[in-house]
Amino acid sequence: MKKNFILLFFLSISMYVSAQKSGLKGVINDTSANEKLVNTTIALLKAKDSTLYTFTRSKQGGVFELKNIDSGQYILMITHNRYADYYDALTFQPGETKDAGNVMMTLAANLLADVTVRTKIAAMRMKGDTLEYAADSFHVRDGATVEDLLKILPGIQVDKNGKITAQGEEVKKVLVDGEEFFSDDPTVATQNLQADALKSVQVFDKKSDQAEFTGIDDGNKTKTINLKLKDDKKNGYFGKLDVGGGNKDRWNNTGMINDFHGKKKISGYGIMSSTGKTGLNWEEQGSYGEAGSGPEFNDDFGGFIFWGGNDDEFSSGNYYGQGIPKAWAAGLNFANKYHDDKQSLNGSYRFNKITSTGEGSTLSQSLLPDSLFYNTEKAKTFNSRWRHSVSGIYEQQFDSSFSMKLTVKGYTGHQDTYSDYDNQSLDAGGILVNKSLRHTNAEGDNSNLNANLLLRKKFKKTGRTLSLNLSDAYNGSNTDGFLYSLNSFYNKGSLSFEDTTDQEKKNNANTNMFNSKITYTEPIVKNLFAEFNYAFRLSTSDAEKLSYNKNLDGKYTALDTLYSTHYSFDVTTNTGGAALKFNGKKITFGAGTDIASTNFNQKDLLRDTLLDRNYINFFPRANFVYKFNQTSRVFLSYNGSTQQPSITQISPVADNTNPLIITIGNPYLKQQFIHNFNFNANSFKVLSQRGFFMYGNATVTNNAIVTNQVTTPGGITTYRYVNTNGNYNAYVGLNYFKKFTKADFNLNWGLNFNGGRYSNFVNGEKNRTDNYAPGFDLGFNKQKEKKFNINYWGRANYNISTSSINEELKTKYWTQSHNLDFTVYFLKKFELNNEVHAELRQKTDIFNTNNNVVVWNGYIGRKFLKNDKGLLKFYVYDLLNQNKGYDRAINTNVITERNYNTINRYFLLSFVWNFSKSAAGLPAPGQ
Amino acid sequence: MKRISIFCFSLLITHYSLFAQDIFISKGKIEFEKRVNIYKNLDDQRDNDNENGFDWIGQMKKQIPEFNVTYFNLYFDGDKTLYKPGREAATAQKIPDWFKGPASDNVVYCDLASDKSTTQKTVYETTFLIQDSLRQAKWKITNDTREIAGFKCRKATTIIMDSVFVVAFYTDQIVTSGGPESFNELPGMILGLVVPRLHATWYATKVELANPTPADLTAPVKGKKANNEEVTQKLKSSMKDWGKFGQHAQWEISL
Repeated sequence: MKKNFILLFFLSISMYVSAQKSGLKGVINDTSANEKLVNTTIALLKAKDSTLYTFTRSKQGGVFELKNIDSGQYILMITHNRYADYYDALTFQPGETKDAGNVMMTLAANLLADVTVRTKIAAMRMKGDTLEYAADSFHVRDGATVEDLLKILPGIQVDKNGKITAQGEEVKKVLVDGEEFFSDDPTVATQNLQADALKSVQVFDKKSDQAEFTGIDDGNKTKTINLKLKDDKKNGYFGKLDVGGGNKDRWNNTGMINDFHGKKKISGYGIMSSTGKTGLNWEEQGSYGEAGSGPEFNDDFGGFIFWGGNDDEFSSGNYYGQGIPKAWAAGLNFANKYHDDKQSLNGSYRFNKITSTGEGSTLSQSLLPDSLFYNTEKAKTFNSRWRHSVSGIYEQQFDSSFSMKLTVKGYTGHQDTYSDYDNQSLDAGGILVNKSLRHTNAEGDNSNLNANLLLRKKFKKTGRTLSLNLSDAYNGSNTDGFLYSLNSFYNKGSLSFEDTTDQEKKNNANTNMFNSKITYTEPIVKNLFAEFNYAFRLSTSDAEKLSYNKNLDGKYTALDTLYSTHYSFDVTTNTGGAALKFNGKKITFGAGTDIASTNFNQKDLLRDTLLDRNYINFFPRANFVYKFNQTSRVFLSYNGSTQQPSITQISPVADNTNPLIITIGNPYLKQQFIHNFNFNANSFKVLSQRGFFMYGNATVTNNAIVTNQVTTPGGITTYRYVNTNGNYNAYVGLNYFKKFTKADFNLNWGLNFNGGRYSNFVNGEKNRTDNYAPGFDLGFNKQKEKKFNINYWGRANYNISTSSINEELKTKYWTQSHNLDFTVYFLKKFELNNEVHAELRQKTDIFNTNNNVVVWNGYIGRKFLKNDKGLLKFYVYDLLNQNKGYDRAINTNVITERNYNTINRYFLLSFVWNFSKSAAGLPAPGQ
Repeated sequence: MKRISIFCFSLLITHYSLFAQDIFISKGKIEFEKRVNIYKNLDDQRDNDNENGFDWIGQMKKQIPEFNVTYFNLYFDGDKTLYKPGREAATAQKIPDWFKGPASDNVVYCDLASDKSTTQKTVYETTFLIQDSLRQAKWKITNDTREIAGFKCRKATTIIMDSVFVVAFYTDQIVTSGGPESFNELPGMILGLVVPRLHATWYATKVELANPTPADLTAPVKGKKANNEEVTQKLKSSMKDWGKFGQHAQWEISL
């Protein structure tokens, strides 16, 4: 006790007098030559942690002097590159000036290097402020838990209750791979996790979340242990179960699981839903879905592009068709990597089934040069289809310069449709022209196979590469169906005659596209590259459409040659091309062209005719990127390409699926040539959190394939395909967004404009339909974590359409869409969500029914279980019962509006459970 | 006779090399090669550790090089140093800017005698001109040495921004207490710098005993004037919702 007092006394004295600074001086000498050493470094390090306190260099005559030294304990370190380091421990009293006198330095060459230093991965080491133990350096029995391991680590104690003490302090937190698990209770991790799963144990002082967030150390530290797992022990699973049922035969049940063992992942899911869910949504796709194409590096653009590659209803997560759907889906995926990730394999299988019942009516106005027709059609359809799909991706990196990727995808499916139509046409005066009752049904199979092989080789010379791409795509379908149609024609309102069509239709179509392309790039000068390519493509299509009338025996055996065809269409293309690319710091530029020789070989197998044509085409392209800085750039591009007519457009036969609207192919169609211009500019201000972007696109089509429409006074319309010029389409827009930091909300607005011209022929006259739609959009978002979240976005467009054959009849109307999403979290475990979508469509002279719809959905939910992993939800869809399907098209001389049934108000009670488990007994991080 | 000439010759060599080592350099130009491991940074910046879904990061890695290599020159004369971007590295493939990170072409002027620095830093859309005192780092001096660009360097370590560990290798054969970026005030020139948390290294590739012209040692003048504290506050408010990516970016910017 007395001792302590004395110590305290001295301490306070020394604190009191610490204002008095100390000093050090001396002269640096060479022991052997007795030479004064200039420029020698004299450094004072603090004794307690060897941090540099101050330093100086010796002047002429080897003299040095350090002033203003705080009293205390130091290490004097004197270094000179040719001499051995000199160390001395020094203690400065307040105000004391030490004279080191003549410091003698010894030439390093004179010291014997008799110490060999071996490096070895230490069992324990300091990494910054973290003490790390290599787990395998400490032996524990098999099956031991982390707690057993901790007990034997030097400096760590574990008591009988599992309480851990490290470096004398209680450990309050145990992290696994830096993540906090389950709860603040450290024993959850240490008593469940197996010791052999660990790579290392790290002990450090974790700063408070506040300090970590602000970066300002508030001194609140928690002794923390971080358990780093071995890669191969990252095993576990996570999943989701969502079960829900409601009134009106509405149900939605999904189950998903992903099981992972290091790099091996197996995921599976099952979905059955009558609420519009047909597959995985975007988020679920990432966790449970099959391997997609992933982000792709785009050299021209200088960035990664994510493709949203869902092109049919089976690959999209939500039903977007007409009518009321029921859907079933199941999938199984496998992914693994081998040999240090040099080989990877993904495989998946998927089954989908969708049935839909649709009911709707279509109102259309058909403008003719000297008259017009109004047409009303009521339709009922039932459609059922299923598909089995498989896909596989295999990648191999042979070495750092040579890689291979093989992708194979395919499906086989079946489709069944039944439709009933009830149709009537009125003339301009509202007098009945014709009526039609029609029934069709068809049943058939379809299949697809896609294979792609990509080989890439980089050479030693920077920028020299060679790649080969081979691909083959096959599509096939065959259907068997029946058409029954009763058509009644009226003259001045009274029935003049009737006819019926009663046929069996057998369709069989398949196409195959083989593609091969070899590309070579060669650097010319710095940042400038040349690219050469050669490609061979062969596309073969074969379409058989046979129509049979009833024979006397009542069987459909009499071939109706007017409506039957068997046509084959082969296109062979040889392409060679060259391009230059410049890859500068601010500017990226590329330009080039491909030249293609194309051969069309068309055979009418039913009528035994042959048509053979050859084309030479140029495919010019250019692109330009200018970067103002890291976050602002403009991008411009142009490319020209051809598009071949489809086999339906080219086979010379009439299609009478709707006897009042007949389409006939044209074997003499030329290919279309499309000029495509693209522009975009964007600037994103990270620090001030605002952004701006502009975009524009224009396409001009030469020899566009359009329809030549002939409508008889009786209301029968025949479409033939012809080529014409003068079709174009353009859209431009700009958007601006900003975060208001003080009020803490996001705002964005934008302007957009769509316009185009569609040229076609109507009763022998050329018609041009011009349509424009300027618009405006606005969005707002504000959220407060665990309190509320409010989101609004909306847009308004004004639509104008005029057709040159009847310019007085302009169609003009507004459409507006407003969406509000509002979620409140209350009483800790509850959340209330509201979603309102309002679609307002202005009436026109012809379309005069009320099409405004306000769909209001909402749910109230309560969270359950640990970490809120469970959610019980009462959901209502379309509370106001206003929803309806709607579609309006005004871009040709025929303008149409379609209304159809869709899912209306229903109530659904559901329970969602997110489950997970990982790392030998530990719950996995939440998804 | 032969023996004597060999002896003389070897003496000459020894003398020459000793002489060479005794040079203390106080002016010249150093080229630094900065290497950043993009792959590791991508892994670190991921907010969600759940990597068991579709491996996008893995897909991206396959399409970009592992390292972003850039060059910087450090001119020094007595107490003045200027660090700025140097020659362009020859690469076949562009690395998207987003992966290069912010503040990757800093110009740093330091006046060691008067404890002043002027730094031009491009942080996304804004170019700052930061005028402040020198970095006050607490360097821990170690006994480890290694040779960089022919110079024997001693290892020193420090922690900046409370949690980012930095290793520097300095040589006392260069008298100017400078270094790359804002690191300096060791008893010699920093020829190697490692920031493990950012997977970044700066190593001198060559030291030229040139006389820097006054133009080489001119402080940058363009940019929005600020001091370090103002920039830090600005970053904090802009990046508070950015998770690990934001934290990483703040470290990069604050070097």
